[in-house]
Amino acid sequence: MIATIRAEWRKSRFRPAFLVAAGIMSALTILVYGVNWYLALNPGSARTDRAIVNILTLYPDQFVNNVMGAAFPLGAAMAIVVGALFTGSEFGWGTMKTMFTQRPGRLTVWTGRVVVFAAWMLVMTVVLFATGAAMSVIVASFQGHAITWPAAIDLLKGLGAVWLIFFVNGAIGMALGTLLRQGAAALGIGLIYVLAVEIIAVRFIGLINNGAYKWVTDQFVNQNATALTRSFTSPAFATGVPSASTITAEHAVLVLVAYGVGLVIVAAGLLRFRDVT
Amino acid sequence: MENSTTIVETHGLTKRFGSGVLAVNSVDMSVRRGEVYGFLGPNGAGKTTTLRMLVGLIRPTSGAATVAGHAPGDPAGLARIGSLIESPGFYPYLSGRENLRVVADLASVKQKRVDEVLDIVELASRAGRNFGTYSTGMKQRLGVAAALLKDPELLILDEPTNGLDPQGMAEMRKLIKDIGQGDRTVLLSSHLLGEVEQICDRVGVISNGRLVKQSTVQDLLGEEGVLVRAQPIDQAQEILSKMFGADAISRNGDAGALHIKTKPSHSAEINRQLVAAGVGVSELRPFERSLEEVFFQLTGEKQGS
Repeated sequence: MIATIRAEWRKSRFRPAFLVAAGIMSALTILVYGVNWYLALNPGSARTDRAIVNILTLYPDQFVNNVMGAAFPLGAAMAIVVGALFTGSEFGWGTMKTMFTQRPGRLTVWTGRVVVFAAWMLVMTVVLFATGAAMSVIVASFQGHAITWPAAIDLLKGLGAVWLIFFVNGAIGMALGTLLRQGAAALGIGLIYVLAVEIIAVRFIGLINNGAYKWVTDQFVNQNATALTRSFTSPAFATGVPSASTITAEHAVLVLVAYGVGLVIVAAGLLRFRDVT
Repeated sequence: MENSTTIVETHGLTKRFGSGVLAVNSVDMSVRRGEVYGFLGPNGAGKTTTLRMLVGLIRPTSGAATVAGHAPGDPAGLARIGSLIESPGFYPYLSGRENLRVVADLASVKQKRVDEVLDIVELASRAGRNFGTYSTGMKQRLGVAAALLKDPELLILDEPTNGLDPQGMAEMRKLIKDIGQGDRTVLLSSHLLGEVEQICDRVGVISNGRLVKQSTVQDLLGEEGVLVRAQPIDQAQEILSKMFGADAISRNGDAGALHIKTKPSHSAEINRQLVAAGVGVSELRPFERSLEEVFFQLTGEKQGS
């Protein structure tokens, strides 16, 4: 297993898709901070029907809450793209047969692949947090505000939550890439799901019988991802409309873990039992 | 199923795809240790599907196979097999060397072996370039290098000269000959008859999914002989029957010619006897069927079609 993980890491460490995704995450965080900083200092330029950004949310003690906005849905969408390419490209390049005709069995190869993907999602998470932290320090320094950091436990919880959201969305991409045996269609379907299908389904189901079936949508993957990110929002952000979600952070974590494990097992089954043609 | 002299043994190996296509139909195949075995067949005959079943990429619909002492796809068996199935599959954004390192890690082979196999396939000087920039010949060489990483007992090469120019094909043939020296078994699939004739000890011919012949190249080509074109042909046949026995003489497909099972060194004596008896000899030459003729006869394909 160690040899398999080493092989998977060796082939993935310089993979353009991961490097570009990490770079985009960093750039998006810088953009979000930059725009919010501008809006916080120039309230008149914001549209009147929208809340003005509170400069307090941009300081280091709030950066965990702040990066959640970049983590979902943009970071999740990025994770789907990376996951789809990670597994789908292997079919196009013909590397599946190369990997499956070496010593390890198919499930060992898949396990190594999942471990390395999980590690890359952690890298993306750390890049997101590091960029957010750096930007918050820059804002605080320019504004002459004291630099105080969130509690270590909050930082760890935030890292864990974002990693989980990235991994589960990445697992959607990986499972689709394995099912469809190609990257392009997998990432297209994955993105359509996260950016449109689930949102439409939630609204439609919410209309039925005055919301009687909301318990169904409470099990949807990105309803739980949203609830998890919002669970970190501090009073400093309380300028907008409060969330109507009844999903608790604990419920969200459980559902997301179930999705992550389930998708990995389904993809493993597809790899284990299907012919490599 | 496998005995000490065979390294690949299949019994009734069959693959029917979901679409109903019967790609491989009850193939009984036997590859002996240490030989270079040619797996011949036209495009679409079932060669690649059979080889994919042998390395565990495809599950047979029915039948059984033993490869290097294990069921196809068994990790213990895979550890003893090197393969290049169809086109080489590598990561285009990694260098040739780095691709081999990935494979070496997976195969639990020491990294120093990577440079050894790069030397064997004469790719060391270009191993630092990205695989995506390689020519077809370089890609094939890298595929062979990856197959050699485990220093395997059995090397399975599926059409390794595909897409190569004549010089590349000649180099690849030489490489395969070199690799096949010693105890290593090479199972080589090809639709190029000349290639198989030059390299292989034994061949199996597959057509429409069925293994229609399996023998040594020599057996397949038949015994050596002499072809005589003479008039009158009946008188010539009578004289030659007295010389070599009636069983050694047969009419060739062409009614005006005789095929004699004898050594070509007897040609001068044959000519002398026939001329002395007043038979006119218009052609006298060593006769050897080409593998191409045999192949077309076995597969039912038309030459030049």
